[in-house]
Amino acid sequence: MSNTTSITLRVNGEQVESQVAVRQSLADFIREDLALTGTHLGCEHGVCGACTVLLNGAAVRSCLMLAVQADGTAITTIEGLAGLDGKLSPLQQSFMDHHGFQCAFCAPGFILTAQTMLEDGKKRDRDHLRAELSGNLCRCTGYQSILASVEAAMNFAGAASEDGA
Amino acid sequence: MRASIVGKFVGSSVTRKEDVRLLAGKGRYVADITVDDMVHAAFLRSPHPHAEIVSVDTTAAKRAVGVVAIYTGQEIKEKTNPFVNLAMLPGLYAPVFWPLAVDRVRMIGDPVVLVLAASRAEAEDALALVTIDYRVLEPVGTIGAAMQSAPTDPIWPKNKSNVVFDHTDTFGDVDAVFASAPHVFTERFTSHRQSNQPMETRGCVAEVTATELIFHSATQSAHSLRWVLAMGTGKAGARETIRALKDNKTRLKAFGRGAKDFLSANKENLGKNDNAGMIHQVRRDPSTLRHLGQMFANTLAVDPRRLPRVVAGDIGGAFGVKGHSTREDVAVCAAAIDLGRSVKWIEDRVEHLTVGGTARDETINLSMAVDNDGHVLGMRADLIMDQGAYPAIPFGAPLFSRIMKVMMPGTYRPQAFELRTRIVATNKAHYVAYRGPWANETWARERMLDIVARRMGLTATEIRERNMYGPSELPVKMITGPTLDVEMSAKATLEKAISVANVSLFRSEQMAARSERKLLGVGFATFHEAAPGPPDYADALLPGGAMLSSEPIRTTLEANGTVSVFTQQVPHGQSHETTFAQVAADELGVPLEQVRVVFGDTKHTPFGLLGTGGSRGGPMAGGGSMFASRELRTKILKQASDLLEADVEDLQITGGAIHVSGVPSISVSFADVAAAAQKVGDGPLGSDVSYDGGRGGWVQATHVCFVEIDEDTGIVSIPRYVVVEDCGDLINPAIVDGQIRGGVAQGIGAVLYEKIAYDADANFQSSTFIDYLLPTAMEIPDIEIHHLKTASDKPANFRGVGEGGMIGAPAAITNAIEDALAHRGVTITEQHLPPTRILELLGTINT
Repeated sequence: MSNTTSITLRVNGEQVESQVAVRQSLADFIREDLALTGTHLGCEHGVCGACTVLLNGAAVRSCLMLAVQADGTAITTIEGLAGLDGKLSPLQQSFMDHHGFQCAFCAPGFILTAQTMLEDGKKRDRDHLRAELSGNLCRCTGYQSILASVEAAMNFAGAASEDGA
Repeated sequence: MRASIVGKFVGSSVTRKEDVRLLAGKGRYVADITVDDMVHAAFLRSPHPHAEIVSVDTTAAKRAVGVVAIYTGQEIKEKTNPFVNLAMLPGLYAPVFWPLAVDRVRMIGDPVVLVLAASRAEAEDALALVTIDYRVLEPVGTIGAAMQSAPTDPIWPKNKSNVVFDHTDTFGDVDAVFASAPHVFTERFTSHRQSNQPMETRGCVAEVTATELIFHSATQSAHSLRWVLAMGTGKAGARETIRALKDNKTRLKAFGRGAKDFLSANKENLGKNDNAGMIHQVRRDPSTLRHLGQMFANTLAVDPRRLPRVVAGDIGGAFGVKGHSTREDVAVCAAAIDLGRSVKWIEDRVEHLTVGGTARDETINLSMAVDNDGHVLGMRADLIMDQGAYPAIPFGAPLFSRIMKVMMPGTYRPQAFELRTRIVATNKAHYVAYRGPWANETWARERMLDIVARRMGLTATEIRERNMYGPSELPVKMITGPTLDVEMSAKATLEKAISVANVSLFRSEQMAARSERKLLGVGFATFHEAAPGPPDYADALLPGGAMLSSEPIRTTLEANGTVSVFTQQVPHGQSHETTFAQVAADELGVPLEQVRVVFGDTKHTPFGLLGTGGSRGGPMAGGGSMFASRELRTKILKQASDLLEADVEDLQITGGAIHVSGVPSISVSFADVAAAAQKVGDGPLGSDVSYDGGRGGWVQATHVCFVEIDEDTGIVSIPRYVVVEDCGDLINPAIVDGQIRGGVAQGIGAVLYEKIAYDADANFQSSTFIDYLLPTAMEIPDIEIHHLKTASDKPANFRGVGEGGMIGAPAAITNAIEDALAHRGVTITEQHLPPTRILELLGTINT
């Protein structure tokens, strides 16, 4: 079981080189080897979305990938969203302003999934938002506060880009 | 004393203190904890629902890569005391059982062997190398099977039967009321097995240090877990115990003094219990007494510094399941002590679905005696609860049956009520507290009221208005004992709900939609909840129960001028760090940032066994925070008056500084006061309050659910959901609304999607999130909430909202579904209504 291999990737903007067990999941690599424990494991079978990270900008479930598959990629975890000064990102701030979460165990997955929506700039009504966020489970909130947080962040981002244009 | 309790922060949706770390991914959940020299645990679990363990062979597994130690059930038994139920009810049989299965497995997933290895993966690899021979026994998979008399292989042989509790409570002359009533209606209601399923599973890290054992845990109740661990792992031989007790006379004396104080302080409450429960239990299983005696003697003999210190950090939800101390906790703790090394165990989702804890699974046969005008004269219920294989620790189905006993009549006026309760053991996972664990009393009653109304030609709202206590009749005692005080406002919530629901408009839409094969329905449900309940509530539950219900809060003025509020509550999503700070900041006149709420660590928090649960956080610990802060404020002002050479009456606190009224320039800071208190040798200023809840009171609500059912697919959607509730003063409205919405969402999940499934032979069939369907953002509608606030002169007018959403929702939803289907001759008596079941009820597919 000591079958290992070396991988190189960028995590939250930093170059990482590591020797990993070939059977290790990307989630375990992020949490255990990199000590980035903001990525959470909710089900480890790809349903709950708590372990979502951005891989080359796309939201993926780190429990369903092996660490070796991330070789040569760029990964963003929840720890990579805030500014260098520790200031929350606009999306994170919106979740704070709108009481988006309760226990917040699912928060990193939701925030990173929603981040891809902010970045593609597409407008979504609430029904579309519900559908696109339906791959992430939250057991506390009933989702209304999560939807409100994302909508507010999207409106803010939309308004900002219109101002810029 | 200040006249107004609603100050600057209370009543405002201030952003959460918790979010600063949680949104940044900097929370510290138990799975995030890594300590030096730690090994990882995995449990080998039974593949059989019911079997004898013939042999266990761990030889090959011990040689596997990375394995550090392996413990069989027998080996853990030798190092532990068993679980013995302390809350004994008359007629209850509570089995004595061990952390791991020793000679018999009683459910799929029963832990049999504990493997410790250098990594979790290696521990799991080794599980595959353990060989166990089982002799399969007849499984008990349903309540019906459990009710059979003289079973061949009773799950608990000492009890001989699988019925572990059979007790009847009678209030009023039930026979006479039923004999003379013009109408009696009866239905049998069944709810399915459900599960809390927080996004974070259970888990712990038993950290062995040079000086103490720190048990990090995702627990809702740190102090009660500490004592369960202490009693479970504190095993010592009789000689060793006696020697330790002899050597440690001061401790023994201190215990004696404490016990004497407790007994004299609670003489009246203790006198209410006649020990019939204890006598029944000891007759069935005399070893109970020996184990209890040994456990207490062992615990007493242990140097208190060696008792485990429990630390809870951030917790990823619980909804009741983490209020229980579990067999895995004790096994991991015992292994860490034995090995002298830290052990980490994080349950995976399959384990959590299989044995993390399950709930409901009750049948209630309910009769209502009704007069010709639709007045409910009497209620008679026969409740059967399936507690699964092992009883939950420290409380489970027996306690919740007592809450059902008190609450089932609701805020209605039956003159007589009888409840027969039977609790059965089956070969299923254990029954745990799940958000409003007694909620099926509301479900059965509110469901039945609709059925009665339909048969009597009344509407759902008419029958409720006709039967519910209104303000002019208050205060009045429920037939089951507790007082409905003058602020009990269930009827006001119903009236408001009727006005916002606009049912007459809905009826025309309902008719029109049928031509498009859309079946619309509306359902109402009203309930009240003891959060915290009136002063006479606890005694109605369990005689003498009041002695356990106070809430401790301690405050300290720190040297830097901040105030720490220490609580035994263990928040896991309820935002106590924010809400208790809001209360304290208002009392003290300081900014929110100046208050820190400290929780989770038994070394620092005041002692309390209840943890977070029962919707008590807001009313009990919120109220406690108010009075403890008020006391601290008095002390701070006194100290400041010395510093400022002014009378206390002339002082004001604004923005965290104390100054003479009208002279803001002459002021001292909280830090100045803290320093002065240190200097004069008073030590840090602080307060220590045990809050009894004052006059307490009820939280009440009416839920209105609108459903739309697609006649072709059976899919139920919820276009509108309304909650009208009265919980007194809202500390933080956004947090209150979040609690209510989350509860309703779980109710929607329970009725339309979620089911812990077993076949008739107790084989488990829902071990992933593909089988156990949690609702997503697509299934939960926006929830419309209306708050009422009945005028009150209670000094701390907070009522709990944690559980209500889940209590009202199953009733409102199933009532709405029946309303949609009633014209097709459908009566709903079950709680789980997925699309296939709807199609069966419509006759589209065969049952």
